[in-house]
Amino acid sequence: MSDNAARRLSRMFYRISIAIEAGKDHLSDLDGAIGDADHGITMSLGFMAVNAELAKLNLDDTLPSEVFAVAASAFLDAVGASTGPLYATAFRRAAQALKKEECLSPADQAAIVEAMTIGIKERGKGQRGDKTMLDAWVPATEAAVNARARAAGGPEMWNAILEAAEAGANSTRSMVAARGRAARLGERSLGHMDPGAASAVIILRAMKDTFEEGERASPQ
Amino acid sequence: MTVKTLSARKNGIARAEAGTEPIPLRYGDDPYVWACWLYYEDHMTQGDIAEIMGISRATVNSYLADARARGIVNISLEPSRLSSLSIAQELKRHFGLHDCLVVPSDDNTRPLIDRLGRAAAQALAKLLKSGDTLAVAWGRTVLAIAEQASVPGLQDVTVVQATGGTAANFAYTPELCASAMAGAISARLVNITAPAVVSTAEVRDMLLREPLIESQFDALAKANKALFGISSLRPNSTIHTSGFFESVSLQQYLARNAVGVVAGRFIDGQGKPVAGPLDDRTIGISLEMLRAIGLRIAVAGGFDKVPAILAALRGGYVNVLITDAATGRGILNADGVTELDQKLSQRPKVDHRAALPSNFRTHIKKFLNDPNDVVEEMLDGVVKAHAAYIRPIKGSHRALVARTGPRPGKVGLVIGGGTGHEPCFLGYVGKGLADAVAVGNIFSSPPPGTIFQCANAASGGQGVLFVYGNYAGDVMNFDMAAEMAAEHDIEVRTVVTTDDIASSPLEDREGRRGVAGNFFMFKVAGAACDRGLSLDACEAATRKANARTFTMGVALEPCSMPQTRRQNFEIGPDDIEIGMGIHGERGVIRDKMMTADEITDRVMDRIFSEMKAAPGDRVAVLVNSFGATPLMELYILFRRVEQRLSAKDIKIEANWVGHYCTSLDMVGASISVLHLDTELTELLHHPCDTAVLRIG
Repeated sequence: MSDNAARRLSRMFYRISIAIEAGKDHLSDLDGAIGDADHGITMSLGFMAVNAELAKLNLDDTLPSEVFAVAASAFLDAVGASTGPLYATAFRRAAQALKKEECLSPADQAAIVEAMTIGIKERGKGQRGDKTMLDAWVPATEAAVNARARAAGGPEMWNAILEAAEAGANSTRSMVAARGRAARLGERSLGHMDPGAASAVIILRAMKDTFEEGERASPQ
Repeated sequence: MTVKTLSARKNGIARAEAGTEPIPLRYGDDPYVWACWLYYEDHMTQGDIAEIMGISRATVNSYLADARARGIVNISLEPSRLSSLSIAQELKRHFGLHDCLVVPSDDNTRPLIDRLGRAAAQALAKLLKSGDTLAVAWGRTVLAIAEQASVPGLQDVTVVQATGGTAANFAYTPELCASAMAGAISARLVNITAPAVVSTAEVRDMLLREPLIESQFDALAKANKALFGISSLRPNSTIHTSGFFESVSLQQYLARNAVGVVAGRFIDGQGKPVAGPLDDRTIGISLEMLRAIGLRIAVAGGFDKVPAILAALRGGYVNVLITDAATGRGILNADGVTELDQKLSQRPKVDHRAALPSNFRTHIKKFLNDPNDVVEEMLDGVVKAHAAYIRPIKGSHRALVARTGPRPGKVGLVIGGGTGHEPCFLGYVGKGLADAVAVGNIFSSPPPGTIFQCANAASGGQGVLFVYGNYAGDVMNFDMAAEMAAEHDIEVRTVVTTDDIASSPLEDREGRRGVAGNFFMFKVAGAACDRGLSLDACEAATRKANARTFTMGVALEPCSMPQTRRQNFEIGPDDIEIGMGIHGERGVIRDKMMTADEITDRVMDRIFSEMKAAPGDRVAVLVNSFGATPLMELYILFRRVEQRLSAKDIKIEANWVGHYCTSLDMVGASISVLHLDTELTELLHHPCDTAVLRIG
């Protein structure tokens, strides 16, 4: 089970990297409106480094938590900036959450989303409504926790997660940035979607695709 | 002048010829211009003009009207007033308000709350009538209004405190706001003599049944007008800082998507009440009661309040809004009204596309090989060029240590940040200055691992001082590195630089960004460390330098990233951005191009408003290029800086003019002034030897 799980996570990071790469220019344009136009470049750099490090692992005897731990330091070392510490802490918290069971049931998937959000919150000392990636991650987590509470299946849960994340990212348009470089723009940040929230949706969609693929592949 | 119809022309000539005086030569054969001149330039009455021109007064009147319609006469309002009037009109229309007053945005020299207070105080004089009952909520803005209001001649007006009271020790309590307002308009005062928030729902119900409080609520229910502020729920808002509500409860409201507080009640983005733990324990006007009041005057401004004000407008709690132009525009943008921006920008619009020269280009030329390799290749060059001063730590060009820096018994100084600011930060590594520098990507903080390597290399057993600019990314990475250092028993202290006075108002000093003034903070910190001072003393000296350094930048043209070779923000052909940051962050105000002295004066006026220097005091001055502005222009700026300082009898102890903290190829400059004292003067003159700065 565990080797299978590590491979799925490695595939997940690969998917995220491809999706971020595809959305790179769009993300940088969003960032150009309210930041310094490098969000797409930074995210793509980070996930490419994650893939490079994961490729060095022997996935047959790697625990799922170790995949997240490796991703955390690879992302951080490659990126710095503000996304580096935020996602590195997110992955580190996900690794800690996985240590209990070391498998990837829908409940564990929900735990990953939840742990990542907690990590981002802790590191960025932010909250919902600050016009950051948390405006996508927090609603996504709420959807995940609700789905887990009603014992929903994987596909139902991920649909709810993605819907919530997209709605959350859209809501950043009418927000004033409270953190990061955009915060100093004040009211000029209004009307623009936060690039961090936009990339969070891309990441969650790639996670959804990976886990749904797993769902279809494994007979239930 | 526009073409006129033949008949009008004939008619005009005929009448004029019949008059007592022929058209003076200078008006040609144009009676319109003649009439306009007499009216607008000679300030004559229409009757006098009719007599001079030998035509009827009605014809003069129609000449003047036609002249405006045809553009012979243009009446123009001052742009900032025009814009605030348009915003007020648009807000009124969009939200169906009874009325709206928008204060023009100026350059923040007077606190916004004072400006809003004064405007609202004047509005109250028009809005209040004898016999009114005014419900008054609490807050800084409400108190500012009360302090400036004066409505003489009113009779039988009652002011009712809209919420219970508080024991909190701030100046703008509900009791004080209501009584100040009552005093200002000579009204009878009804206080609510119960706490705003009580311990349980039972206590509240009991209190509300008390005859005294019941009678006070009866008075509140009679209010036909209400005056209140709107609070955001952002971390620095009054709601948080006043301690009026317990922070635990606040978190619960936040989790339920509350975005603002109106008269002590929480609302969400759509203006719907948000249920929470305080609801049953709050004594004060309810949202339904508020909405039932005829005239509901909200006074609020500041862009951080935009979501809260928008919510209050959507919820219908407001029908008279008093705000400022920037906030008003923000509210409209947030609600998807973009026509206004078009309308305002259309006015002076000129189509520049038509004027594009044939050699117009879309990419900036740069000396590049592979754009993705710029940082590595630059560092390669730096390490070779400055091998006398720096060497890589463990082969990494991202972590560089001074050859003659770190030594046992001395506090280590680590600086760092993104690239694109050269010679910041690596040019300041060497004896007497920084011991190590961590280098990030373009405009991006270095990662914690790199910073930790620097801390490790700089450590001489007496602790390490981190000094870097205040940016969210840098703070997170340096904090993580400090945690790693702590795990290795290296004590780290951090001074985050905040010298850019344009980046936040004075009240939010710690939120300001660190820019070229870094130069002074690094110098002072490096000298303190080199003198063998304790970690405490090094930190204190650096903090003092930061508190006494004031920087403001002005950009004329944007910078361009090597990866895109495109300009990373837009600025009009005749515009400049005052208060520009070193990553192309927008400044305080965009203005028309002006002379070097006018620009310097704008910057120096702002610096003088914060720097409390007395005649005879000493300062150090840094005039810094953002990258593309040449020394010639920097000296022109310095010349004026010197004139302004010497006019105040402030002595320049030391100065630097040149490229010290750049922003790639941005055209622009910043002026930094360090207000010296004896200790800082000594540390400034302490010898140092680095690639770009050598003293002694």
